[in-house]
Amino acid sequence: MIANAFSTSATKPSLESLIRLLALLAGVALLVVGLLFPLVAMLVKSLQDRAGDFIGLANFAQYFQTPALVNSIANSLRVALMTTVAVVGLAFVCAYGITRTCMPGKRLFRMLAILPILAPSLLPAISLVYLFGNQGFLRDVLAGHSIYGPIGIVIGMSFWIFPHALMLLTTALTNSDARLYEAAEALGIPKWRTFLTITLPGVRYGLISCLFVVFTLAITDFGVPKIIGGQFSVLATDVYRQVVGQQNFQMGAVVSVILLLPAVLSFIVDRWIQRRQVAQLSARAVPWQPTANPLRDWIFALLCYTVAGVILLVIGTAVYASLIQFWPYNLSFTLEHYTFQGMADGGWGAWFNSLKLAFSVALVGTLVIFFNAWLIEKSEGYRPLRQGLHFMAMLPMAVPGMVLGLAYIFFFNQAGNPLNWLYGTMAILVLNTLVHFYTVCHLTSVTALKQLDPEFEAVGASLKVPFWITFSRVTLPVSLPAVLDISVYLFVNAMTTVSAVVFLYNSDTRLASVAVLHLDEAGYFASAAAMAVLIFLTSLVVKLLHAVLTHVLLNNAQRWRLAG
Amino acid sequence: MHTTMTSLLAADSPAVMTPTTPHLRINTVTKRFGSFTALDGISLTINEGEFVCFLGPSGCGKTTLLRTIAGLTKQTTGTLIQRGNDISALPTQARDFGIVFQSYALFPNLTVFNNVAYGLRNRRVDRAHIHARVAELLALVNLTGSETKYPAALSGGQQQRVALARALATEPGLLLLDEPLSALDARVRGHLRSQIKALQARLGVTTIMVTHDQEEALTMADRIVVMNHGVIEQVGTPAEIYHQPASAFVASFIGSMNFLDVTVQGSTQALVGSTPCACLPHTLASGQAAQLAIRPETVALSRDGGALKGEVVGIEFLGPFQRVTLHLTEADQTLIADVPSRDSSDLDLYVGQTLAIHLPAEAARLYPAGSSHQ
Repeated sequence: MIANAFSTSATKPSLESLIRLLALLAGVALLVVGLLFPLVAMLVKSLQDRAGDFIGLANFAQYFQTPALVNSIANSLRVALMTTVAVVGLAFVCAYGITRTCMPGKRLFRMLAILPILAPSLLPAISLVYLFGNQGFLRDVLAGHSIYGPIGIVIGMSFWIFPHALMLLTTALTNSDARLYEAAEALGIPKWRTFLTITLPGVRYGLISCLFVVFTLAITDFGVPKIIGGQFSVLATDVYRQVVGQQNFQMGAVVSVILLLPAVLSFIVDRWIQRRQVAQLSARAVPWQPTANPLRDWIFALLCYTVAGVILLVIGTAVYASLIQFWPYNLSFTLEHYTFQGMADGGWGAWFNSLKLAFSVALVGTLVIFFNAWLIEKSEGYRPLRQGLHFMAMLPMAVPGMVLGLAYIFFFNQAGNPLNWLYGTMAILVLNTLVHFYTVCHLTSVTALKQLDPEFEAVGASLKVPFWITFSRVTLPVSLPAVLDISVYLFVNAMTTVSAVVFLYNSDTRLASVAVLHLDEAGYFASAAAMAVLIFLTSLVVKLLHAVLTHVLLNNAQRWRLAG
Repeated sequence: MHTTMTSLLAADSPAVMTPTTPHLRINTVTKRFGSFTALDGISLTINEGEFVCFLGPSGCGKTTLLRTIAGLTKQTTGTLIQRGNDISALPTQARDFGIVFQSYALFPNLTVFNNVAYGLRNRRVDRAHIHARVAELLALVNLTGSETKYPAALSGGQQQRVALARALATEPGLLLLDEPLSALDARVRGHLRSQIKALQARLGVTTIMVTHDQEEALTMADRIVVMNHGVIEQVGTPAEIYHQPASAFVASFIGSMNFLDVTVQGSTQALVGSTPCACLPHTLASGQAAQLAIRPETVALSRDGGALKGEVVGIEFLGPFQRVTLHLTEADQTLIADVPSRDSSDLDLYVGQTLAIHLPAEAARLYPAGSSHQ
């Protein structure tokens, strides 16, 4: 019996499981090099002096003794909290309008509401300067307050974070159980009590999750405070100022570590909530359908279209600003700003670099992330490796772009790092962007894969078909909608991101989003607006292409979906 | 059609096998998931060409055993020998079997043709051969003409047959069926049951089917393996399992069964209350508490005579027979008797009536007390 127990426990390694193991190791290596090592390098840097000697927490002590730096913590918390309240409140009203009323033009509103995601966060900041700045045509609305500072930051952030919150809350509010509402009605419960006792508890997890996502986005954003913050400094701009302005890398690392804390905290809370949310809605729930109520419907329509109007106003302002000679003195039409004379090497090169980056990340990222998710979800054995990979795939969500970018400098620019050659190349920008936006894509992949029949792989194996053939002939085509979603998500984010890559470009790989920043710093405001608009339009075109492609694929190449 | 079958048969069994040639030997296979033991020292031999059912309640380990045979689950200890080769450590791809899952796991983006041809394509056989083979298989499962359809356009029963054709395409020596009928509605299920059985008999492919449906097992299997809590309770033909259940669990799991609390009295007798009743020989000690198991259809009722009396407390009309619930007056226990409809008129059954009960000795088995819990 004992001899028997030993003889059967070992499995002969087959070629397939060897390839699987190598693929898993490659996935792990990618995230170890692209995420863990840089973060460790950054943590180490925060404990060293300029000469590279270990000095314990001396940098942190110095940080907390410098009022100018410590103030940023309170500033960051303040604007992030204000943004959170504003965005979540507004998004909840709009999401309620979409899901729980019969307001007219829901589809149009949803399309308009998503537009801010396609622009870099620098765009609303630039528009706000035109609207409310010293020469702004709505300047008087602020009643003497300056747009440069917390007011501008909160409005700008609210603009580009709004779509994220709207999507999360729409999803939360869509899951409703009509039976509860019918029961309440039968019992004669007043509407306001129904709202408090059924609607709100039903969305509580979605709401809390949304609060934390919005807070994290707000506290880590760099673009908006950089453009419109003026003298009002926040943590994200401090990192930039310490590193790029004062070349004080140690202090940059210290601020990064501090910036990491709220993000990690909200990440943990979000994970905890996600775990509790499971099976909140029973399978027998009947979706609730709103019935027409003209007064309510038109009130919500009015509110939603006011929001949509503001979104169009902000984008329209940037477009307008990029097309006129010189605000507010010469309002004649011109395309001159699209020649980007403020940039020595021309702005179109930067735009082309961004395009290259976005396509590379969309292509490489989609395949790598989806395949890694497949390895985690659909393969047997190597459990510790798969769990480790999953854990690392979840981490990037908790790492702000500024922190990741700076961490890359510390790790890849180290003397003696064999990967040093990557520094300053397009490859490092691709790697950085891929890792930066890894988590959402990973979660999308996992969700899509979980919906597939768990026995596809077993059937393939029983028919002696290698796993990579079943992956490419079945798993990938069946998951195509999710795969396309991931690729367009990566494309748009690669196009618009500025926080991480601002530390990593060199003169050959300058990106469009970074160019917006430089044009703005150099005083070429109209050109900055033009570049931001160019990024927005590029994302918009790709998003539309994606919509068309998805439509065509679902109707032709994916005929099988309609067969039933 | 005839040539079709011979070609399939020839591929499966190169030589004429006697029914007792072992195809698969399972030797003391144990599977633990953490502290939970799913399979506890399972030993079993499955013969060439046999149709074997693993039957048991959910969680009894039957699916785990099937997945272990397929290599989808690795046993903690124990060995598997297929046609003389030790396959214990082989990965799924290197084992010789075809499988049909409960969900069928048809590839939704591939046509029926491509689903069935999935395993053939990989073998670098020429296109003409693949086409011929797929046509042959689809004819076998009565789906000729459905080649270009997608799975979603097929009914549940049709999908099931495509899955069967796909599993048989590569001419496996062993066919594994994991609850293949449970996702279908009752009428289709009954029809497919006989179709699968006939197909299996024609092809002569060794088949293992997992099911929790005793009727399915009784009608389809050559031999049934009854499992509970990770161990085999009994292996036998359907008739053996039904008429000679080896344990109280098997007796209670298959068909309807009365269990009466009795006291053992001698080697062929037990006391129901204080009334002695004859039973089959057993090894329990005299004076011990035991359970007397007897099927409702073997219980005979009469208006008078006999020592055991019961009062009718309920009558259910079930078509071919009436199910009579009796309260044993003296022993204070409940007993069920199935009375054929043509006999019931003689009895003139009504609730409240007291009847004499005869428990035939050749149908009464004793089991140790407290062992019938499922």
